[in-house]
Amino acid sequence: MNPDTEARAKPRLDLAAGVRFRRIAGRIFREPLTHFALIGLVLFFGVGVVKAARQPVIRIDSEELSQLIIYWELQMQRPPTQDEVKGIVRERIDEEILSREALRLGLDRNDMIIRRRLAQKMSFATEDLAEAVEPTDAELRTLYNAHPGDYAAPPRMTLRHIFFSDDRAAGDARAAATRALVQLQQGRTDIAGDPFVMASTFADISPEALDKDFGPEFATAAIAARLGDWTGPVRSAYGWHDLRIEARSPAQVAPFADVRTKVREAWLAQRREAMNAASLAKLRKRYRIEITDAEARG
Amino acid sequence: MKRLKQHRAIVWSGLSLALVAGALTFNSDSALGETVRPKASSPATPAARPATTAGAISDPRLPGYNSDRNAYFGDLHVHTKLSYDAYIFNVRGSPDDAYRFARGETIGHAGGFDIRLAGGPLDFVAVTDHSEYLGAMEEAARPESPLSRLPIMADMFSPDPKQIGAAFNRFVAASRSNTVPVEMRDPKIAGRAWKEIQEAAARNNQPGRFTTLVGYEYTSAPDGKNLHRNVIFRSAKVPGLPFSRLNSPDPEDLWREMDKWRGQGIESLAIPHNSNGSDGLMFQTTRLNGAPMDQVYADLRRRNEPLAEIDQIKGSSDTHPSLSPNDEWANFEIMESYIGSATRVTKFAGGYVRDALKAGIVMQEQKGFNPFKFGLIGSSDTHNAAPGSVEEPNFFSKVGRSDSTPELRGSVPPGGARSWNGVILEGGTSRYQYWGAAGLAGVWAEQNTREAVYAALRRKETFATSGPRIRVRFFASYDYPANLASRNDVVAQAYAHGVTMGGDLLPSRGKAPSFLVWGLRDPRSGYLQRAQIIKGWVENGVAKERVFDVACSDHLPLNTTTWRCPDNGASVNTATCEVAQTKGDVELRTLWTDPTFDPKQRAFYYVRILENPSCRWSTWDAIRNGTPPNPALPKTIAERAWSTPIWYEPRH
Repeated sequence: MNPDTEARAKPRLDLAAGVRFRRIAGRIFREPLTHFALIGLVLFFGVGVVKAARQPVIRIDSEELSQLIIYWELQMQRPPTQDEVKGIVRERIDEEILSREALRLGLDRNDMIIRRRLAQKMSFATEDLAEAVEPTDAELRTLYNAHPGDYAAPPRMTLRHIFFSDDRAAGDARAAATRALVQLQQGRTDIAGDPFVMASTFADISPEALDKDFGPEFATAAIAARLGDWTGPVRSAYGWHDLRIEARSPAQVAPFADVRTKVREAWLAQRREAMNAASLAKLRKRYRIEITDAEARG
Repeated sequence: MKRLKQHRAIVWSGLSLALVAGALTFNSDSALGETVRPKASSPATPAARPATTAGAISDPRLPGYNSDRNAYFGDLHVHTKLSYDAYIFNVRGSPDDAYRFARGETIGHAGGFDIRLAGGPLDFVAVTDHSEYLGAMEEAARPESPLSRLPIMADMFSPDPKQIGAAFNRFVAASRSNTVPVEMRDPKIAGRAWKEIQEAAARNNQPGRFTTLVGYEYTSAPDGKNLHRNVIFRSAKVPGLPFSRLNSPDPEDLWREMDKWRGQGIESLAIPHNSNGSDGLMFQTTRLNGAPMDQVYADLRRRNEPLAEIDQIKGSSDTHPSLSPNDEWANFEIMESYIGSATRVTKFAGGYVRDALKAGIVMQEQKGFNPFKFGLIGSSDTHNAAPGSVEEPNFFSKVGRSDSTPELRGSVPPGGARSWNGVILEGGTSRYQYWGAAGLAGVWAEQNTREAVYAALRRKETFATSGPRIRVRFFASYDYPANLASRNDVVAQAYAHGVTMGGDLLPSRGKAPSFLVWGLRDPRSGYLQRAQIIKGWVENGVAKERVFDVACSDHLPLNTTTWRCPDNGASVNTATCEVAQTKGDVELRTLWTDPTFDPKQRAFYYVRILENPSCRWSTWDAIRNGTPPNPALPKTIAERAWSTPIWYEPRH
């Protein structure tokens, strides 16, 4: 059809119908029943709109959805199909609805498990706040000076020894060590014993380490030996030794710089404890505590 | 074709070296014998130490530094309450507790008693909890945790050994059939446990005194055949979460992941263990997917697995008597069942390290690559957070409450009985009785720091023991002077003119190599009886092995026809466990030349040092109980140490 022909045909139809419509509409408009219906409609939809605005919302954002999908994939070892994603979302929504309804009905009250979980979350939250502070060196030094025992190192020594193996014929090792000792004490420096798997000098070794590697007699002898003098023969788990202590440092507190990390950890732990106690004490003030059991009160 | 292969080998070697940023002195595949140590006479430069990644890790020289290297003893296989099974076994010891125990302190045992190392502190430890369900069992045991409501958790936590066994079996079956609820692998829970492990390692690491390493266990066992590995990290730089069996049961995927980490600057190595429970799968000569091995596979494996655990509580993986019929000492703490079940092993080839070392040199000979060129360590696999708890007189086994009493571990008759008449052991006890108090790792390192210990592991300058802290030195060269073993500077000379364990001997110009073998007793254990060299070689395409005694105790003459020492007459009174103090040596030291050396034959050599016989843990238990020892078990054992091999790589 030609569009021009149609356009021209339209106005002719309108004339009589337009007059009739206006007359009927006027009558309906003035009718009280109409007013009643209109007010009813406004009220009906209006309340609906207000209600919808106050309805609780469950929103699943893409971050949470991708987390849910990761869990799903972990279990099934494949990505979910579109339908399965819908299922995951539906399940999550159901869970949310049920949990909110449970809260609404107060099902969380008097439940030990929920109470513990919440208390735990709260104390974690308090701890997180406490961690944010970085102690100053001065603060750390104060703590370090207050507890020097926590940072003490065992006594240490540097020693040289000459070894005479038990694998020599019986009695031989001890006799050789005794002979060598006399020469060593006379200042001879060319005395050799038997080769030894471990070192012939030990720098910075503790009595505990000597006990572990040589046996208790050796460790005791090393502690007792006079600095700089050859002594012996000393028994070990391997044979006999002549030994000389070259240097010795008593048990001492490690320098602050060496244990700063350790002090910092102790400081943070202390602070965390204090913060927790303080925040709990503050919270406690908000409550009046009544204990009806006489024994528990005491 | 061959040339092409060689080129590929070179490219891969280059790539692998690039991957570790050229930082580590482990042997590349080029068989260049690069473990010859720089001269010890340059104390000003720490040349003996591996160079470090450009500025990433520095290892300042500490007062105890020894350029001839010290022996350090440790445990690289330790579980705490963060492992799902340990938690089921009632173990509550934390990673911190494990480190405290290793330093000689007292901790509590799941059985309600205190435990402590009799032999004094260890030098280094890695806590290696199962990465699967890491930390989740502890979480599930809290009534407030949603995990506690999972049906599978019903009856999971009981102090009754029978129920513990049932709970463990139920959980393992669920894990195997992939029906463990997904909540048990919540990355948040695993992440928290992983953080605890890292923090405990950081807190307890004391450079120069005590080394901690961050690690975990990758726990794959297709059809129950054990392919477990411990992954050990060089530094505190570790991935966000471990790569576990739940990511892939194929160790190849673990190695690829480790390569990826390495690309991110995270250096690690994996150590397979309990090949004895793999039913031949651990060292089979095809890939897990059935495809043949190739150069790429061999490089991938060796880049990531420079070591194997030869001994631990669940048995020795050196060799099985059926694989080494001419080795009189092969029958040592043999475990013939799968891990964690009573299923019997039927295939021993592929399940033992000596067999694998032999298969490796045959492959090198025939195909040009060797996937099994690894060093050796031992470790405990304790699930009691008790590193190094492998002392015979002080043994409380390894699975928490389940084997916490002599009765539960099968060393005394059940129900208070005074004899073994008619006794048939059941359940876990039937297996625990065969477990050994065994497994310690030794390394030779300049000082006791993470950097030095890890570098020693990488270059395979390691040894293993069955528990005692026996020190083993092993060197080889064509040029050692005949009097080397009696010189006072023997170690410096040995390093300067030869290779040590983990190294390659270059092709011979006709001379046979000589081997310096040196063992020193543990001051708290027995005297040494004999030093041996175990040789494997390829002859007409077939791998052979032979055990040579090379040094005898008590000045006894070595028979150089049979290569056996005469009996030194050492004995044990099994009523008291007392040993004769006059037998055996403090140390065994010799320079040995291989009389069967053929320059054309590819070979490996490793040392085994044997102690005089002493009481097995089960005999100690029986004596304390006043009942006869379990007749199914040996009353005494020969404690021992194994070195990493030295390989002879002939020219082709």
